[in-house]
Amino acid sequence: MKQEISALMDGELFEDEAENLLGRIKRDSDAHGDWEIYHLIGDVLRQPEHVHCDLSAKVRKRMQDEPIVLAPHGRAVKQKMRTVALSAAASLAAVGVVAWMSLQIGHETVPQMAMKQPVLRPASAQIRPKANDYLMAHHEFSPRIIDMSGGASYIHTIAYTNNEK
Amino acid sequence: MSDREVDQQLVERVQRGDKHAFDLLVSKYQRKLGRLISRFVRDPAEAEDVTQDAFIKAYRALPGFRGESAFYTWLYRIGINTAKNHLLANKRRPMSNMSFDAEDAESFEDASLLREVSTPENELMSKQVVDAVQTSLQQLPEDLRSALTLREIEGLSYEEIASVMNCPIGTVRSRIFRAREAVAENLRPLLETSKNNRW
Repeated sequence: MKQEISALMDGELFEDEAENLLGRIKRDSDAHGDWEIYHLIGDVLRQPEHVHCDLSAKVRKRMQDEPIVLAPHGRAVKQKMRTVALSAAASLAAVGVVAWMSLQIGHETVPQMAMKQPVLRPASAQIRPKANDYLMAHHEFSPRIIDMSGGASYIHTIAYTNNEK
Repeated sequence: MSDREVDQQLVERVQRGDKHAFDLLVSKYQRKLGRLISRFVRDPAEAEDVTQDAFIKAYRALPGFRGESAFYTWLYRIGINTAKNHLLANKRRPMSNMSFDAEDAESFEDASLLREVSTPENELMSKQVVDAVQTSLQQLPEDLRSALTLREIEGLSYEEIASVMNCPIGTVRSRIFRAREAVAENLRPLLETSKNNRW
């Protein structure tokens, strides 16, 4: 924990780590003492000419008479709301871009696909009797239906183009 | 997160009703604010009282602090105003050479003036603490001493220190901590004995 305090006062912890550590320092007077003494060392190294006497105990004593301050609609709340709003706006923008791109792709490819696609007809209406017998006789040798079971193994999709008539 | 963001996080905790977080801010800024105020208020005992007043005013004003400036800039401004108001209330004018803004407060240097306003008692305590810190620093292994010096005096980030010392950031973090802890070990007995003597 001491090493984390050292890193916290150098601004080298992530936000969630810092939040967690500050909660632990609150419950641990030794940790508070470490925070104080590490700051004293820094101040002495930077300004050895004048090291002010420790006021924290006196301020703490005076603070006991002070009411708890609360700022429920403070910056933290506003910042969180702004973050949520920005996230939502970014998500909407992303969805919009994807939709627009898919529309663009759709316009280009649909006519090409329509030109190449053969005209499909219902198999039951167009299947020829010979072909039907042949398929019924050989369906169980088909490698694609080995794992299938029940009535599904008898399902076949057959298509004819106009030229085959 | 930066040092300023750590302060902001502490401020937000205070704004949510956590008084202890304000304690941490006091521990962090008491000497800097005290030095600043002693440039206006020359009597050390008065300067100490004004510094306490400034912290209490800052606490009361914290619900209105929106983080538009750094916390320490805001705090120093309160400190300067409190000192000036104190002098006016006592029908004294602020010293003429003390015209600087809160933004300049971090960098001010006037050791001769600060020595002038210190009491013999304060001076002795300060000297003991400074000696303990500097002796401990000299006794540290070179790598620990360099890491702590680069951080505290040069103000480099861990990443920059890692680059200077050619080692991983994790090593920098560990060296700085070990250096601080070694110095703190030598300082703790001194602070324990001084606790009842205005330290």
